[in-house]
Amino acid sequence: MELTILHLYPDCMSLYGEYANVMVLRRHLEAVGVSVAVETALFEDTPDFEHADFIYMGAGTERTQKAALAALLPHKDALKRAVDRGAVVLFTGSAMETLGISIVDAAGKTWPCLGLADFATVETDRRAPEDVVAHTSLWESPVVGFMNKCSVTEDAPPLFDRLSLGFGNEEDRGPEGYINGNVFATHITGPVLVKNPDFVDFLIKRIFALKEWELPEVLPVLPYEREAYEVTLKELTARTGG
Amino acid sequence: MRLFLAVIVCKVLRFIGGLIGKGSSLPGQFALKVCPDVLGRVRLPENVIAVTGSNGKTSTVEMIAAILTADGKQVVYNKEGSNQIEGVATLILSHCSLGGKMRGDVLLLESDERYARHTFQWFHPTHFVITNLYRDQLTRNGHPEWVYDAVKAAVFPETVLVLNADDPLVSCFAQDHDPDKVKWFGLDECSVSTKEHRGVYHDGARCPVCKGRMEYSCYHYAHIGHYACPSCGHKRHDADFAVTALDLEEGRLTINGERSISLAFKSIYNVYNILAAWSACALTGADRETMAGVINNYMLKNGRMITFRLGKHQGTLLTSKHENSVAYDTNLSYIAAIEKPCTVLVIVDAISRKYFTGETSWLWDVDFDRLSAPHIQKVMLYGKYCNDLAVRFKYSHVPADKIEVGERIPTAAEYLKENGDEDVYVVTCFSDRDKFLALTEKD
Repeated sequence: MELTILHLYPDCMSLYGEYANVMVLRRHLEAVGVSVAVETALFEDTPDFEHADFIYMGAGTERTQKAALAALLPHKDALKRAVDRGAVVLFTGSAMETLGISIVDAAGKTWPCLGLADFATVETDRRAPEDVVAHTSLWESPVVGFMNKCSVTEDAPPLFDRLSLGFGNEEDRGPEGYINGNVFATHITGPVLVKNPDFVDFLIKRIFALKEWELPEVLPVLPYEREAYEVTLKELTARTGG
Repeated sequence: MRLFLAVIVCKVLRFIGGLIGKGSSLPGQFALKVCPDVLGRVRLPENVIAVTGSNGKTSTVEMIAAILTADGKQVVYNKEGSNQIEGVATLILSHCSLGGKMRGDVLLLESDERYARHTFQWFHPTHFVITNLYRDQLTRNGHPEWVYDAVKAAVFPETVLVLNADDPLVSCFAQDHDPDKVKWFGLDECSVSTKEHRGVYHDGARCPVCKGRMEYSCYHYAHIGHYACPSCGHKRHDADFAVTALDLEEGRLTINGERSISLAFKSIYNVYNILAAWSACALTGADRETMAGVINNYMLKNGRMITFRLGKHQGTLLTSKHENSVAYDTNLSYIAAIEKPCTVLVIVDAISRKYFTGETSWLWDVDFDRLSAPHIQKVMLYGKYCNDLAVRFKYSHVPADKIEVGERIPTAAEYLKENGDEDVYVVTCFSDRDKFLALTEKD
């Protein structure tokens, strides 16, 4: 079993330890016997979407996000082909916004986006850096994390049905993120996969299904990850009042 | 009349507050209610120096105050660290005559980087020192470019900007500012400089102006160094106030090739704080001999480095703000450079003392590989978030058999008390340090 992860723009679409998402996914995949190669692409490169099985981009500042968009737009058809072929896509933080139709920035300028999804984003002058507890029907446990956004995204089929902490796509504690087939996105910033082992397991199951590999009955549990998750969940849940 | 009332309200509340030991922002808050534009009405001293940036604000302000006081000036500054508009109002009004004239020769303000624009809409500093901008408490600050935009809104054309030339983001403040009103401070390439970037992330990898790939001829630490963007030409300016020679091991630096200064605290941070303070004081006309005299062996009493005893151990606690990877990295390099057998205890229990958050992403920005040096015999990870630390260390070069993990801080202290006699370094935040220090003996 061999798999290639393509990490887009790790030098700058990296607001807060996003590289760790790739490292933790890699380690979990290796623990189930997958041989993993990690490729990276910078703005100046042509990303090799053709050979990518998992495509990841993390959060950037508003200005870096626009530069990432400019770099990626010429390759959007190749990205679409990869999605159609069955590559799994995960965009986190402000990278999520690039998947949609457009972003209107705080100065009112419209930035055409990749068009992989039908949603549109409008930036505001209000930033909401805050802790997040998110709930999905795709796996049992809530997702914990941190959000650092200043935008509203409309009409995205959400990855998370509701938040009990944090600002959703359109409103406080509303639905959050994006899902369509094997494309996943959330505005949660930083190492969201490190903090949520069940999210990692969900992605591994999805990758195995798309690859038609045989999934082990029990996925490996790596040391300290679940204990760390439980502490954060407990702390954040106490904050939400249960 | 309202100005008069606001001054009275502030003075009375300040007096009562002093009696009952209450905070310094409340009097200003009430005064601003009585007279919202009071800060625009008072008459300020000839020199108004503001200092902002991610790190080094308090130290720089303390140093400037010490120098200018020694130079015979009456300096009014917010030593209580109330750096938002209410605290600034308290400071100014409690030093005002009833007619609204402020006493003192220099008003010196440590200014919160996100709120400076609220304060400075009423009056504009004559000198605005900006030390650096990097990832710091993102749970409050968003990110460095967001902070940049907030500070930019507090920059006015008549203000002299005193900028860190070595920070590519800070140097952007000079864009569309009168070049005669920009003064630069910086560090020449020296013994601490490296050709390669050191750290887990590199916020200088891309030019802040055009996002092209930035080129560095040398790095001092993090993204601070000598840079030039081949795409748009944004580059480091020559420094008006430069450290032209630096020997951190010996603890000596030279400013502009002529003034030699001894460092009481041998850290690169201290070098930049000295440079920033030197620049501001020189620009306000302070005597160079006096400046050098005060800074020479200047000892900051900020309690960032505390020694203790625990069992047979001699210990040092290095205060490293949580959610600030640059502060952590600086202290980790300090430990790595010691080359004497030691144990390191990292404590993450409460992430902030000021607000609630469960945010641990910043652990992934800290370069814990620095603790893989062979003289570090043991690394103890403690506190409520010990598991997050343990996961992080699984991805570091620190050998697993050197790592010990536990939740309770007293357990760590008890263990050390009973075992070994090597030096101990504790790395933690203001929010957690007293939980440990309470279990030790004062050195």
